[in-house]
Amino acid sequence: MIQMYHVDLRYAGGTYGLRDVSLVLEKGDFVFLTGSSGAGKTSLLRLLFGAESPSAGQILVAGRNITRLPASQIPQLRRQIGVIFQDFKLLPERTVFENVAIALEIAGVSRSEIRTRVWSMLKRLGLAHRIDHKPRMLSGGEQQRVATARALVTDPALLLADEPTGNLDPALALDIMDIIADAHARGTTVVVATHDPALLERYRHRRVVLDGGRLVSAKSPEEYALPARHAGERRA
Amino acid sequence: MIDVHSTRRIAAALRAGARGAGERPLVFALAVATMAAGLLVLGAYLLVIANLRGVLARAGAELRLVAFTELRGAEGDEPVAALAAKLRAQQGVASLRYVSPGDALSRLRGDLGQDAGALEGLDHNPLPGSFELAPAGGARDPAALRGLADRVAAVPGVTDVRWGEPWVEGYARAVRIAEWIGAGLGAFLLVVLGTIVASTVRLSLHARADEIAIQRLVGAGAWFVRLPFCLEGALQGLAAAALALAILRGLFALGLPLLGDALAWLLGGQPAVFFGAAESAALLALGPMLGLGGALVSLVSLDERA
Repeated sequence: MIQMYHVDLRYAGGTYGLRDVSLVLEKGDFVFLTGSSGAGKTSLLRLLFGAESPSAGQILVAGRNITRLPASQIPQLRRQIGVIFQDFKLLPERTVFENVAIALEIAGVSRSEIRTRVWSMLKRLGLAHRIDHKPRMLSGGEQQRVATARALVTDPALLLADEPTGNLDPALALDIMDIIADAHARGTTVVVATHDPALLERYRHRRVVLDGGRLVSAKSPEEYALPARHAGERRA
Repeated sequence: MIDVHSTRRIAAALRAGARGAGERPLVFALAVATMAAGLLVLGAYLLVIANLRGVLARAGAELRLVAFTELRGAEGDEPVAALAAKLRAQQGVASLRYVSPGDALSRLRGDLGQDAGALEGLDHNPLPGSFELAPAGGARDPAALRGLADRVAAVPGVTDVRWGEPWVEGYARAVRIAEWIGAGLGAFLLVVLGTIVASTVRLSLHARADEIAIQRLVGAGAWFVRLPFCLEGALQGLAAAALALAILRGLFALGLPLLGDALAWLLGGQPAVFFGAAESAALLALGPMLGLGGALVSLVSLDERA
């Protein structure tokens, strides 16, 4: 699903967001992207949905080399990807229904199907009673669930989540993670950027660790279960 | 090729445009008022130009070439009809009228007025029979009239042709100047109006920058973002054009009785006329086109990757 080969992301001024990152994610994988703040987690996610272009290297997403993708094809790529942002990125003047529906409108789904799918998604996420409310009337947890609903309502092949639980209390964080895990169980490839150790402990999936823009390890859950001296690091 | 998904995307974007116009009534009203003011100035200017062109067109319609002949009035009707047929066959002649030597003398008497007694001593009528030729619409410029005069002069039986060349030159110059000034001022006003619309859309874009950024992040293409603004611009333009036309019509109806004498003098005694249905429709159509154009100009730099 995702292949990154020797990817650099260098910003104006010469600082690096990512350096020589190589990574392969198979279809149906669930991967935690971890590392301290500024490690490059968000930069990596932004590369995957075409918000940034790498300075060097190649990136393939769903079989398409997005480093060579013309700018006009970027929206088409993004329609195959669900993205959950740490700051939710909801439209403040739109209702919950409209915030979720926009992803389907952009995908060109019919209005009747939009109604059905949005209603069904909001019901699944316990937001049906909030359907006509605007984001400012919702709690942080509810807003995060709306953002999650928007990312999942299109049944994306790939879900990218940037600190999806960063602003939430532990109980709400687990709610959101359960929703994401449910999407993974239904076949969606998931990449979650987080530095929350509780999540990493509870959901034992492969971890990709970034530090200073470099990929320092990529281990399977089994490897994490073993003492460090037995678990060989590997570059994916 | 537009597939069903693209059609639905376009429909959704247009719905968003209509919704956007309704959600910011004050911004919409301000944009409409600004555009309407500009269109009002443009409309008033076009109305003046249309009326002046009417004056010039009427003056052009009164243009005549006079072809003097060898006819002396005693030949009977047959030679007159034969010559008339030859003249009518000339390219650029719309109609003609025969002025017999007797009619010409009567006109001269009328023109001389109190001095007409000077003609009493004549033992015979010295004036020849002549034809007054009205040139066709496309043959009223000096070059075409010169060509027509040459052709008419070459017709056997015609002795001389007069066509008031200095007057025609002046007339043609007046038409040219009116058209150049009209085109220049019209273009200037259109650019000013386009700039107003583009600025209004840019303000709207700025106000909705966050919304646009979020739309882009969830996969909206450039046209999904642009279309609502285009529709909003077109709606603003249409409303502004309708408003400007209504105000202009009202001002015309109110101002006509007050300015009646001055206008009659300016327009050579002809009554001022308002736009016909076609001109009104064109002014109405100009509004949405301007709105659309202004929106497209301000949206042209929208980044696909942002």
